[in-house]
Formats: sequence, C-alpha cells, structure tokens
Amino acid sequence: MENIVRNISIDRRKFLINSGWLAAGLTVLTSCKGVFAVLPTTANPEIEDGLSWVQLMPDGRIRFLCPRMEMGQGAPLGLSQIVAEELNLEQSQIECVSPASNQSPPFKMTVGSESIALFSEPVSRGAANLREHLRQQAARETALPIGQLKDATGGFDAVGRFIGYGELVPAEVTLLMPEQNDTVAQYFYTRAEARRIVGKSWRSPDLENIVTGKTIYSRDVSLPGMLYGDVIRPPRFDATLVDAKDIGAEAMPGVEAVVIDTSNSLLGVVAKSPLLLADALKRIEPVWRFGNSTASADELEVTRYRARDDFEHTLVDEGNSAANDVISVRSVSANYTTSYMAHAAMEPRAAVAWVTEENVKIWCGCQDPYFIRGRIAALLERDEEEVVVHPLRMGGGFGGRILSQPAEEAALLSARVGRPVGVQWDRETEFQHNYFQPKFSHAIDSGLDAKGKIAYWRHDFVSSPIIFGLVPRGLAPILDTFIADKGTARGARMPYQVGQQRVRYSDIRTEVPTGAWRGLGAAPNTFAIESMMDELAFAIGEDPLTFRLAHLAGAGGHMEPLATVLRRVGDVSGWGRSTPKNRGRGVACAIYKGQTHVAVVADVAIDHGERQVKVLRLWCVQNCGLVVNPDQVENQVLGNLMWGCGMALEEKLTISDGIANERNFDGYNILRHNEAPEAVIKLVKTARAKPLAVGEAAFAPAVAAIANAAFAASGKRPRALPFDYDSLYA
Amino acid sequence: MIDLNGNTVRVEKALYDLSLLDFIRDHALLKGTKYGCGQGLCGACTVHLDGAAQRACQLSMSEVLGRNVTTIEGLSALTDGDGLHPVQQAWITEAVPQCGYCQPGQLMTAAALLSENPVPNDADIRAGMNGNICRCGTYDRIRRAVARAARET
Repeated sequence: MENIVRNISIDRRKFLINSGWLAAGLTVLTSCKGVFAVLPTTANPEIEDGLSWVQLMPDGRIRFLCPRMEMGQGAPLGLSQIVAEELNLEQSQIECVSPASNQSPPFKMTVGSESIALFSEPVSRGAANLREHLRQQAARETALPIGQLKDATGGFDAVGRFIGYGELVPAEVTLLMPEQNDTVAQYFYTRAEARRIVGKSWRSPDLENIVTGKTIYSRDVSLPGMLYGDVIRPPRFDATLVDAKDIGAEAMPGVEAVVIDTSNSLLGVVAKSPLLLADALKRIEPVWRFGNSTASADELEVTRYRARDDFEHTLVDEGNSAANDVISVRSVSANYTTSYMAHAAMEPRAAVAWVTEENVKIWCGCQDPYFIRGRIAALLERDEEEVVVHPLRMGGGFGGRILSQPAEEAALLSARVGRPVGVQWDRETEFQHNYFQPKFSHAIDSGLDAKGKIAYWRHDFVSSPIIFGLVPRGLAPILDTFIADKGTARGARMPYQVGQQRVRYSDIRTEVPTGAWRGLGAAPNTFAIESMMDELAFAIGEDPLTFRLAHLAGAGGHMEPLATVLRRVGDVSGWGRSTPKNRGRGVACAIYKGQTHVAVVADVAIDHGERQVKVLRLWCVQNCGLVVNPDQVENQVLGNLMWGCGMALEEKLTISDGIANERNFDGYNILRHNEAPEAVIKLVKTARAKPLAVGEAAFAPAVAAIANAAFAASGKRPRALPFDYDSLYA
Repeated sequence: MIDLNGNTVRVEKALYDLSLLDFIRDHALLKGTKYGCGQGLCGACTVHLDGAAQRACQLSMSEVLGRNVTTIEGLSALTDGDGLHPVQQAWITEAVPQCGYCQPGQLMTAAALLSENPVPNDADIRAGMNGNICRCGTYDRIRRAVARAARET
C-alpha cells in the first residue's frame, strides 16, 4: 500500500498551506469537487473526502478540520469522537477547528440533521487511513512486522515500547492518497460493542469559554482599523431601490462613506463608530419601486385549490384512490393550518468584511461558507478564489443562516472604503429581513371501515417552496414549473397502513421570502397527519396509541421500529392511566427523513382560572441508530421538544402590507422558562450500526402530541397553530 | 467613573447617553455580554449592578455612574479562590449550552438569584430565570444547573 503522494497539484497543495502546513506534518487529501457558483452547497460528501480533514501535527496531536458548522448542535464534538476512536486518542490529543473556506475543499452546507449521519463515514475513513499509514511507518522505523505494532493511546505499542504519533511525523509535508476501495479497518464500524470513545458523553471543549464569555460570535469580531456600516433596508418584501439622495449623511463628522448602489439595491453608510449609523441613515432619502408578479400570501388556502381540484404535485397515489366506491362506515374531514414562523436565533446576525485589491475576507457565522463565498464573489465581480470566508460559531442556526446578508452588505460597503467594515443586524432587522418558515394549509378526508381500519386517506396541502425558497427571482418561475419542493413535502408521507391513499400539494411562491427552518415541512405536515389520526381514533372510541399500533402492523414488519418507540413511550409515560379533570394526555409519532423513529407523549393541563393551556411534561422515545454522544443527543432532543411547545402554543409571524408585523420578542413569542415543561428522554438501544438524523427529529411529533393532549384535556380540537386558551374555547 | 469588574473606568461626558451594553461591548471591549433584543425582553445582556441582575441594554451610562458593574468576565472573581463561579461550574457539569449565546445572561441571572435566595425551589428558579430566553431550549438543564449550584455552594 504505497499511498504517499508528494507531487501534488498546486490546487490541492494550497489547502494545506492555508491550513498551516508549511513545515513538517502529515495529512490525507482528496479531490476538490467543483460546485456550481451561487447555489447552496448540496453535494453529499464522498467517502474519500474525510482524508482532507484529518492532519497529524508536528507535536503528535491530531488536528481535525471539521466540515460541519457549529451552531449549538454539537456535531464537531461527535465527529471528533469518531476521529479519536479511529486513532485511539484522548480528548486532549485532538484539536477540532472550523476551516476557513480556503483550508478545505467545499463541503455540503450544514443542514438537515445529517452532520453525524452523513459525515461519520468519510471522517472515520480518513482517520482510519491515517492510523494505518502511521502503523506502517512505525513498522519501518522499528523493523518489526506490522502485526506487532499494537494500538495504544496516541500511538503504538511496539512489543513493549511506546511509539507516539509525534515520533512518526515525516520531515516534509506529506499527503496520503489511499487506494480506491481500500480495506482499512474502520473501528467506528468494526469494533461494534467494544468502542472506546464513540458512545461516551465527551464534554465539549467549548463549554468553559461559553460560560466565561470568551467564545467569539460574529458580532464579537473586532479588527484593527475596523469601521462600522449599516444599511437602509427595503420597507416591503417587494421593494427595489431606484434612487437615493444624500441630504447630509456624508457631511456628518465620523461618517466615512455613503454608498448608493442601485444595481445591488444597497443604500448604506460607513462610520467610525456604530453609534453614528442610525443618525446618518436618517440623512439619506431612498426612492423605492414596489410590486412584483408573485402571488399574495393570502392565496395559501387549501380550499381554493380544492375547489379547482388543482394541485401541482402528487406525492402518493396508492390503492386506486380515484375510485369512488370506497366503503367506509365513518368519515372524518378536517382542515389544519400552521403559521409563518421566524428562526429567532438568540444572536442577531452580523459579519465583518474586508475588501482589498488583493483579496476579500469575510468573518461570519453561516451554515454554508462556500455559498457565502460564491455570492460575495458574484456581488463584487471577483474570482471565487480571492474570497475567503472565516466561519464562526453561530448563536443558533435552525436553517436561518444559509445566507449571511450582513456579510454581503459589509462586503459592498468595505469595497468602497478598502477597510474592514462590520455590519450588525438589530433584532428588528433579524425578524423582518430574513426568510421564514412558510405557513401551511391542509385538508384531510379520511374514512374508517367496519373493522375500525382506515379505508382511505386523502390529504391535500398548500404551502411555499422551502429548499428552493432562496433561488434568484429570475430563475424561480422556471424552477417552480418543473420541481416539486421536497422540503415543503417533508414528513407528508405518513407511516400507516391504509386502504387507499392520495397526498397532493402545491408549493406556491408568494411575496413572502421562505426558506429552510428547523425540520422544513416535517412539523406542519406531521401536525396535520397526527391530528387526523387522533380524530379518527376518537371517532370510533379507540385508544389513540392502540389505534396507531393497529395501523403500523403488517406490511412485512417494516414499521416495527416505529411501533417499538410508540410502545416504549406508552410504558415510560404510564399511558392509559386516568387523568384528573382538565388534564389530558396526547401521543404522536413520526419517522424523520425516513430514518429516525420518534414517539412523544404530552401531558397538558387547562387552567380555567388563568385561562391558560400548560404543557406539564413531555416523554420522548427516540431511535436514532448508533449514538455517538448520548449527552449531546439528549440535549438536541430536549431542544426539539421545547420547539414543539413553542410551535404549538406561541410562535406566529404575521404579514401585512408586504412586511412582517412582528419586530421583537414582545410580538413574536418563543417559549420561556415558566412555560418549559419537564422532559423525559429515552434513546432506544438498537442493533442499527449507523448514526441517524437527530437535530430535527423529535420536533414534529412533539407539536402534534401537545395538540392531541389539549384535545384530551378540553374536548376541543386545536386545528390552527399556534393555539391558546382563548382560541381553544372561542 | 464606574467600577467594572473591580477596575475603575472613566466615563467621558459624551458617553453619558450611551447604553451600558454599548459601553461594555464597544468601549470597554468586553464581548461576553450579548446583545439580543435591545429592549430588555430576552436577558442576553444581563449584568450585575451593585450585585443585582439588570439589563445592560436598558441602562444609560448616566444611570450607572459611581456604581459597581459585573459582567460575565468578572463573575468568577465573585467567588473565593481562582476557580469558576459555582454556577459556571454547574453549567459545565450539566453540559447546559447548545449555541451558548444566551448563556452569559442566564449565568448572570442565576448567580444573582442564588445570592438573594441560596436555596431556591423549582418555582423560584422558574420565576427568577423567566426573563432569560433560550431559543435552543436548554431550560430543563438550566434549572438542573441552578439547583446543582445551590446544592454545591
């Protein structure tokens, strides 16, 4: 296995040099895949990609250039554990860093709960290859047969003599290029029950910095000579800047530049202090043009589309659903709606840009640094290679940071002044000028046969594009004609066995900017499906958990994992016990992205005195396959359950006159301490050999379980989210 | 002048109208105190003013002249010895943070809560912490960490 490559291309070598590989060291490297400019980075990692992310440093420690952005989900920690498993490392022997965009070939944007599920394999392979290469090196140096070099922590045991990785660092920069289809043992898979690090709850090395206030977020970046910028943003979604007049901004002391750039619809100022910006912006008069041809948000009503029998996409059509001779003894029809929602991350976005003749440097928290790089290169008409994005930890992502608008604004401003410029969005801007989770409007008709089984299920819904929400306006009409947005439809394929089933939907682009938000369509679609399942069970007086289990049986047992988490959540929550008056239990379950099985039970109380609906407790049982770090996974599940409470009872963004009405946490409510229920979280031990999606999985069933519990407590069915005491008893 | 984490800091007259938050971040260059909403709604900018939890975004410099301000950077100095404050230690033990952005504010509120009420029950913790939002939803762990800090102090 001679896999050392020294004559690497300049193109490949540059990533190494950029990541500090000027001196001795060893790394493994792979090809740089091309990515289409100015579209989000969507290519899945290839198995060889892991080779470019693991480096042996001259001091014998391992540096892991993590190809996932940290926004609180903890993926870099989990992937570090996989590297450590392969290389037999203590936590202190690995350093995990977030590479700048010129330090690693492009990698897929950090979305979709797939950081561990999708990246564990290439990361494991890269680290395993490095280990076996080092073992060969140790064999050469000791003249021992390779079989006598046994794994030891941070190196090898050579018949009683310890050889640390530090002793095996080559004198010159060395790259590994493994053979195709090599058979290097990946301990992550082969050790199975004997794993040493995977499955342990390592604590994040970032914790101490966080609790002492030392962690740097985008807003905390400060460069010598840095100026501050701000921008007048459009008063409506459909506004375009036509012209502007400076009526005294540039003349203000401390103002360095006024930028009126109609071609990029940007109107901004640059000043020495952030405190001058608001006054300066008042001294510019913009002229806007309003209007475009997109639909109004008011049109997203499923009844309108049903009246015309006009849906763009058919997701499921099974069992001759067009036939009208379905025999049912009991039919139930209902409509369900969910609202526009905001990401409302605690960190309002910010960025610093420094544009010089030589290059463009960007510091920002973002889910896709290569998308940011492409957009800024296009905006400034620069070569992509000249733009370097330094990604920072995000103060919450939730799908909301695929774009970094302040990075683009700062880049345009910095291009004018040639000095670093920081742009910091305030909370109002964060609420009003990002993209949103679209509202959903559902109609489901279903019927039961004489045995209490679902004879037919007809589900239609209308919402807006999510995955393709961010495509440029010019491209959108063509795209919308041909592509069914899978993000909008996420979770709409229900898991139950039914006689006939048809699911149709339309993804209508409206004036309101829409895009990724935690779980995409999963929570709105699961809410509709699991509410209807509850309605059907109650229609025939069946226990809702038993009713679900009855519809998961059969079909070759492939729904058994879902049935298992349902039974378990019934066990841990004491399902079936009687509840006091004005208290109720609700259950819901779902399969996230076809892989992670989750069931949730909610305990809800109706407080007539305080006119409140209160979630007292949530129980969640989740099967997400192999768990790399149980504590991190449980924290993610906890967050999902709290989001379930928020979406069910609090969160709603409204649109009037082409702009969001809500501007801060007084208008847009998210869950607070006094509303946050206790949570009991159980992860199912499983024979599954791979990690599966975690970051968004438990959210959707939590929402539905709360709605179903509210019905059990009140006898009133919440069909529009969010709901509260007054809407329930209206 | 103000006392900021034990240091006497001069405040120029021109800055009297500035918010304490802007002063801390942009003049004292202490970045651990976070901007979250600018309206006292989220608690991310919580500091101690003469030992009590206050929203730095809602105070002007003229209101805090001559007073003691403690930020997250000065929290550990409130305890004996070189170590972290008990709430900081409890936050690590319970692995509370996800994104971490709200946590300096949560910690400052928790530390002030415990100095007023060393043995809070669950309802006290909920009420005392209610002004601090955590979008990641770590509330359950925050409550556990506050209870742990109370136990171990």
